[in-house]
Amino acid sequence: MTQHLSSQQILECLIGAGNPDGQRHARECAACSAEMQSIAKPLAWFRASVHHAGERGMRYAFATGPVLLLTPVSLDRAKRAGVGSLLIHAAAIGLLFMIGANQTVQQVVREQIALIAPDIASYKPAVKKDPRGGGGGGGDRSPMPASKGKLPRLSDKQFVPPMAVAHNPDPKLVMEPTLIIQPDANIPIVNMDVLGDPLSKSMISSNGPGSGAGIGSGSHGGVGSGNGPGVGPGVGGNMGGGAYRIGGGVSAPQVIFKVEPEYSEEARKAKFQGTVVLFVIVDEKGNPRDLKVIRPLGLGLDQKAIEAVQKWKFNPGKKDGKPVAVQATIEVNFRLL
Amino acid sequence: MERALSSEVAPVTVEDGGPLDNFEGLFEQYRPRIFRFILASVRNKESAENLTQDCFVRAYRARDQLRGASSAGTWLMQIAANLVRTHEASGRLKFWRRALHADVDLSAAGDWIPDRQMSPEQIATAKQQVEKIWKVAGRLSGKQRTVFLLRFAEDMELLEIAAITGMKEGTVKTHLFRALKLVRAALEEQGK
Repeated sequence: MTQHLSSQQILECLIGAGNPDGQRHARECAACSAEMQSIAKPLAWFRASVHHAGERGMRYAFATGPVLLLTPVSLDRAKRAGVGSLLIHAAAIGLLFMIGANQTVQQVVREQIALIAPDIASYKPAVKKDPRGGGGGGGDRSPMPASKGKLPRLSDKQFVPPMAVAHNPDPKLVMEPTLIIQPDANIPIVNMDVLGDPLSKSMISSNGPGSGAGIGSGSHGGVGSGNGPGVGPGVGGNMGGGAYRIGGGVSAPQVIFKVEPEYSEEARKAKFQGTVVLFVIVDEKGNPRDLKVIRPLGLGLDQKAIEAVQKWKFNPGKKDGKPVAVQATIEVNFRLL
Repeated sequence: MERALSSEVAPVTVEDGGPLDNFEGLFEQYRPRIFRFILASVRNKESAENLTQDCFVRAYRARDQLRGASSAGTWLMQIAANLVRTHEASGRLKFWRRALHADVDLSAAGDWIPDRQMSPEQIATAKQQVEKIWKVAGRLSGKQRTVFLLRFAEDMELLEIAAITGMKEGTVKTHLFRALKLVRAALEEQGK
């Protein structure tokens, strides 16, 4: 046999399954022998290491000497451990259920829930009445204070101011007196037939010491102490107190800090342009509040406009040199470059 | 239990007057070998101890069946191989086997020295090669590993292995051949 062994034949020789000729060749041929040894040697070392590990393991494993357990106790130790573990878990879960089912525990838990969710109504900030701003007043310079009475119809236009004492009992063109107040305003209602100032205590008919028609101590055809066709203190129509309107001794607030509004994604896609008009009250500190959209644009631009204006900072409007809350409208332009 | 054992344990002859009378002697004689084989198979000392004990308990209970053609060593190894197979199949300790995988093969390769005559370089190379074979043996399938260990760690003959595993000789050869191919590939890869 002169031919060298194939690698397969060499493996067969190693296994002990090679034919006698091949075995002999492997012993005699130096090349084949070397190739076989390259695997046989590591395998021999492997065998030695297995024996070593066995001896080493034996040394520690049975250090107490040979103990041959013939009872079934030693069998399936792991199985018993598993069953034991299962029983312990079942007992623990059962205990939890038992505790849960206990009436006293349930009662305690229920009470705790009541404690967890206390009534926080008293902590909530009181809802402020919407100060709509403006006001009005009038009178005919009567020496008497304005008399008590109901308010006329609320409208957005005024042709004739309300009068408690009619100076023209027989007009040629009868117009219903009105006050310029938002229709949803929370006006004081007085159950009387005659017109007058609902907050007055005087029952003697009078238009009050004010001027320019209307009722009360103010001027310009409203009811109350203000200046304009509205009700109550304040300026320029609408109702009582709150923010002033610009003009008539009230200076306009100045923008100090401005944030440009962002375009909304939809509006950008639609290439939508326009102007959002916002109603805003600039308070004494120059912060905008009570923002409302007067003229909406849609596509999320209204919200973007509000978000931007909320960050603005103003020099507050002033009346008689003192900063006051002033209502204003702001136009926010959205233009695509 | 007895019936289950009888199917696992083939009848084996009693040799030299019988380990029946001298079970303790049988135990002393074969325990290292059985333990070694199981340890190399499952690679966990705890499991190997348990399985070795189990093996002898089963052997003791079924000692009446020690009749037949094979030796007691073959018979015990048969029980051990079956126990290892059951242990593998149960998969119950898979996680722990993985976690403790390194505790046997690395420690075995760690303080084991192939030959004191060799140079440090040669020892290092030899250790690396042995470690490779351990790793390959770990990756083998259950049957392949059993056959591989019986042949190359226990030096058993093919026919004996066939008797232990209940396979035909040709099947044993095939398994060995495939295992050796993997070993050779691993060794060649290391040689590069």
